[in-house]
Amino acid sequence: MVAETLVFLIQVWLGVGALVAGAFLLIGIGQVDEDAHGAFAFRPLLIPGILVIWPLVIWRWWVVSTGRDINRHIKAAPRRSHGIVTILLMIILVGTLLISFAIHQERSINIAPVKLDMS
Amino acid sequence: MSVKYVPVQWNVFKFLYDFALLVIIMGFLWVFVHIIPDQLTYDPSITPQIQNMRAFGSCAFFLLTAILVIGPLARIDRRFLPLLYNRRHLGVLTCFVAFSHASFVIRWYFVFSPTDRYVALFGTNTAYNQLLGFPFESFGIFALLCLIILATTSHDFWLKFLTPRIWKSLHYLIYPAYAAVVAHIGLGTLQDQPVSIFGFLVVLCVALVVGLHLMARRCELETTDSSALHRVDAYWHALFPVQEIEEGYARVARIDTGDRIAVFLHNGKLSAISNACAHQNGPLGEGKIIDCFVTCPWHGFQYDVTNGRSPAPFTEKIATYQIRVREGIVEVDERANPPGTPVEPLNVEKEDSV
Repeated sequence: MVAETLVFLIQVWLGVGALVAGAFLLIGIGQVDEDAHGAFAFRPLLIPGILVIWPLVIWRWWVVSTGRDINRHIKAAPRRSHGIVTILLMIILVGTLLISFAIHQERSINIAPVKLDMS
Repeated sequence: MSVKYVPVQWNVFKFLYDFALLVIIMGFLWVFVHIIPDQLTYDPSITPQIQNMRAFGSCAFFLLTAILVIGPLARIDRRFLPLLYNRRHLGVLTCFVAFSHASFVIRWYFVFSPTDRYVALFGTNTAYNQLLGFPFESFGIFALLCLIILATTSHDFWLKFLTPRIWKSLHYLIYPAYAAVVAHIGLGTLQDQPVSIFGFLVVLCVALVVGLHLMARRCELETTDSSALHRVDAYWHALFPVQEIEEGYARVARIDTGDRIAVFLHNGKLSAISNACAHQNGPLGEGKIIDCFVTCPWHGFQYDVTNGRSPAPFTEKIATYQIRVREGIVEVDERANPPGTPVEPLNVEKEDSV
């Protein structure tokens, strides 16, 4: 039941994404980026991305087209968090490998079958 | 750098890069499918379909490892920078390889059942309350989703549309994706067979990723040593002596706001710009000035250091900073100017200039 619901939600997500992709690539892209004017060959390449992150696309479309994109600080890259990400990655990777080898169960290859005594 | 978007900005180097990648991937798959089965004894023995599945899965893991080590390698040794130049194509190819792996899985394990194959994928193993036998498939699904997001948003349009902060944050997904792949392997195929050379290679790859990231971090901290920095008032920071900047190059400082600022010396005058390229946040401070323009060492984007603007007809802009020199020490105002703001270069021969 949970798996069926999950698959259904994924289908809905992709369906809505397809509608957003159509609207954005035909109407919105020209409103948000002047470099896209007259450039059509690259637009099909954007479809898979819109299918996946369409809520983000709608939000940015609204922000840019309504002139709310004035906070210049948002254009700065989050490089200050890179060190924390590196350390977290280290801990998770090492921990994952340790757990994997700790729970590993050795088995012999080609174990000879044993006849059970059913008497 | 583009004025009008095109699907792919091809050049000779990218053709060669992609050709080499395809040769490496096809070579790896051929060796894995045709050579390795005779060298290894699986317990239990596996079908050719599973062998194909493992070939593509292993290939995706090694490619993902390569993606993650290229960055720190380029930070440690500039000779690796050419590998970084076209890394996004490597990422897209990795996504295709991972997708092929998933496709083999679905078309083998979940195809001989009346249950919908995707429903079966999510519903077959739900033992989330135990480590041994944990549904490692969920890690693989998560990693594939991350790779799809990264690959499908790799076009330059996305960087501009989403803004570098959001785009870069989104592309941090490469790290959880790699962790998920390691968990997928560790709780999956590594549990299915005796510890083999593949297990050893997985440990080696993880050690490489972790080690190189630590080394790169150390290099970066050394080159942007902030230990000597201090605030001189509410907004101004003392950075370093003017004499430490080489003509035509920059010295980079990381102030306590977290921003990295590149201070360039060109024709005896100082200019300060953000160290992060507007394209993919490459380290501009590691570039050299030619004719007033600094070239990003990652992808070749250029900026005028006096105004943070790319040369026409390109439109990229980065922040500039106000600087001054007091008693031979360069000081910077932490309040960045809006991207593209011209700042008159500072003649360093003027003592205590503002």
